[in-house]
Amino acid sequence: MARTVGIDLGTTNSLVAYVDPQTGTPKCIPGPSGSTLCPSVVSLDPDGSIIVGEPARRRLLTQPERTIYSVKRLMGRGVADIQDELKLFPFRIDPSSKNVIRVRLGDKFFTPPEISAFILRELRNWAEAYFGENVDRAVITVPAYFNDAQRQATKDAGKLAGLEVLRLVNEPTAAALAYGLHEKQRGHVGVYDLGGGTFDISVLKLISTSEGDIYQVLSTNGDTHLGGDDIDNLLQAFVHEKILQEHRVDFSPHSELAQELRQELIAIKHQLSENESATLRFPLPNGAVYVQECERAAFEALIRPIVDRTMGPVRQALADAKLKPSEIDEIVLVGGATRTPLVRRTVQEYFDRKPHTELNPDEVVALGAAVQANILDRGVSNMLLLDVTPLSLGIETYGGAVAKVIPRNSTIPASAQEMYTTGVDNQTGIDIHVLQGERELAKDCRSLARFTLEVPPAPAGLSRIEVKFLIDANGILQVAAKDTRTGEQRTIEVQPSYGISDTEIERMLEESIEYAEQDFAERQAIEARTEAETILAATQKGLGTPQAASLPSEERAAIDAAVAALKESISDSDYKLIRKRIDELNNATMRLAELVMNSAVSTALQGRKLAEV
Amino acid sequence: MTVASTATPKQRNHFDLFEVPRKLWIEMSALEKKFLELSWKLHPDKFVNASPEEQELSLKRSSELNDAYRVLRDPVGRVEYLLELEGMRKEGEHKQQAPPELLEEVFELNESLDELREAKASRGDLASLKSRLEFAEKNFQEKLVEVDAQLQEAARQWDAAIDANASDADRKRIMVRLNELLNRRSYIRNLVTNVAKELS
Repeated sequence: MARTVGIDLGTTNSLVAYVDPQTGTPKCIPGPSGSTLCPSVVSLDPDGSIIVGEPARRRLLTQPERTIYSVKRLMGRGVADIQDELKLFPFRIDPSSKNVIRVRLGDKFFTPPEISAFILRELRNWAEAYFGENVDRAVITVPAYFNDAQRQATKDAGKLAGLEVLRLVNEPTAAALAYGLHEKQRGHVGVYDLGGGTFDISVLKLISTSEGDIYQVLSTNGDTHLGGDDIDNLLQAFVHEKILQEHRVDFSPHSELAQELRQELIAIKHQLSENESATLRFPLPNGAVYVQECERAAFEALIRPIVDRTMGPVRQALADAKLKPSEIDEIVLVGGATRTPLVRRTVQEYFDRKPHTELNPDEVVALGAAVQANILDRGVSNMLLLDVTPLSLGIETYGGAVAKVIPRNSTIPASAQEMYTTGVDNQTGIDIHVLQGERELAKDCRSLARFTLEVPPAPAGLSRIEVKFLIDANGILQVAAKDTRTGEQRTIEVQPSYGISDTEIERMLEESIEYAEQDFAERQAIEARTEAETILAATQKGLGTPQAASLPSEERAAIDAAVAALKESISDSDYKLIRKRIDELNNATMRLAELVMNSAVSTALQGRKLAEV
Repeated sequence: MTVASTATPKQRNHFDLFEVPRKLWIEMSALEKKFLELSWKLHPDKFVNASPEEQELSLKRSSELNDAYRVLRDPVGRVEYLLELEGMRKEGEHKQQAPPELLEEVFELNESLDELREAKASRGDLASLKSRLEFAEKNFQEKLVEVDAQLQEAARQWDAAIDANASDADRKRIMVRLNELLNRRSYIRNLVTNVAKELS
């Protein structure tokens, strides 16, 4: 049976987790290196293959032109939105990009969902290798404050990676789930999630009912462009300036040297979470070495403005939940950046309560995603998540104002009906502009979609079109319209203002096959065959040794039979059969291997003096 | 379990959905209990492996549930909804007009606001203007508290009329009053918001 996993698609690192059916506890799945963290870095090799994770991260230094990190910052955004990011991040954007950004890796261009899909595909591979089974469904987490376009882009990425996205779950909500399972929480829980690129605060109410536990999100707030990356940018700019002043060495912020400096500074930042001071030694191209003693106090003074920026959303979320800081019973810290002592202190002081940090802040979101994946997979469970939409949904009205139809922090799914009519005789269309955000003017809100309602020609005011706006459980908008005069239902082709159309997704899906790895079973068969060849060769060699002659004849016969059986299975594509025959041959050759080994050891010992052993 | 097993006739209103009478005083804890109970039954998370039709129905029904809970939980939203349901209030048709007895004060306030904007633009003396506006803001805040109390009183009258099975004419009279108070409230609230924005 195919498996369902939970995936944290992070700005800096991504993880995949599942719930162990035996123990019922969530667990992160390690990759080939043994680490559960997959750096969210993608590199296009000159040979055309895609490299993801730690190997790609190393290429940030050697092949920055072909490598991209923090692509999450670009998800669901248009070129106009990201001008500030471009000053800080070495994104190489296709100059002809309009509403959908295309990023250049080497000589090829990719959209952010395509790049994210490479990361998802890598994690999927980790999980498939771990289970030895196909993985085709996933819960993927998103920052709670992600808007419609950013959510849609994430869902597209899942689709491009060949995954059915069962649900997009908000990261702080997932963390609350993981903590709830870890140790029973109660009352009002605040989740403060400062990740690599995004900040979220969510306030939840945990309710026990006869049917099970309900995790009801009361409010959420945040900043989708505030995180550990900003701390790194700040440090980088600060040191860059000092190097320029003291050593007259200037370098492009997009150069390899800049990347090296950035990675050194990240290491310093991590050290300062543990120690009171750290020393940066950075060799410069002119042979000099830039040395900087870093005190934690100075570091904290530098980053305090960033930490302070998180408090506005915190206050707003509490106000929206109609709660005072003292009414929050538990506060949970999530995200790598919450390891910073200043962040912990700030949160602890504000809530006057020691925050929970028991679960690994890097893993907790993925663990929660796995819990939700498990709940959804089974369909019935004793847990229920009730989440909210982070931003108000509005419709543009006369004079560029916005009429809010679904307020922020409404429990999702949520809907609103609006009635439209014509203003002039024989008008054939009504233009509708849907927006997301809290500001009063359309120009200050996020444009989600524009579309035209078609109306049959009639005297003004006669047509009545009811438009239904629905935000689904993923936080994604759906629109449907009904002509209440004729009863005619019609679907609306909503062209997203920022995002990829369905046709483009189909095209990308076709293209992605070019990069897709082979079918899982086939891949497994290839690996099993390779292993079979190795063991067959070793057996052949063993049978040729003098020790083989001392084998009892029935054992020799058993080995020959096992060899024949394995040879026969190799041509088969059933990897499970090949594995079974490998095991059988291994068992049959146990005694032979022992004999050969002993003799090898004694031969080796004979050649050396005892003292050397 | 299927959505259909808890299905209800089309066009069911928010009060019916929660099985409460069309009254304006609602016991919040009972409302929450019902909300959670229905959420267990209707939420899309329970239908991930169901047929597309059932998923669609779950989406529709659970969004209706959430919409209803959002409206009924809000004391003012509840009144607006009741009036819409009774055909006494149509969205968008209530152009905000200054309540006549407030006209003079509103006029003064708008003048002060204009002066403040001009003073800001020309970097003039802000302090005295600000204190005048702060005074006006406080004054209107008090009026807001007052109108809320009046609204509550009218809501009590409505509930009593329902309990007494009062005549249509009596009900209508109360609804007209409720409608006036709602308009007055939203007008004052906008004023307060505008002043607060200029002062911040």
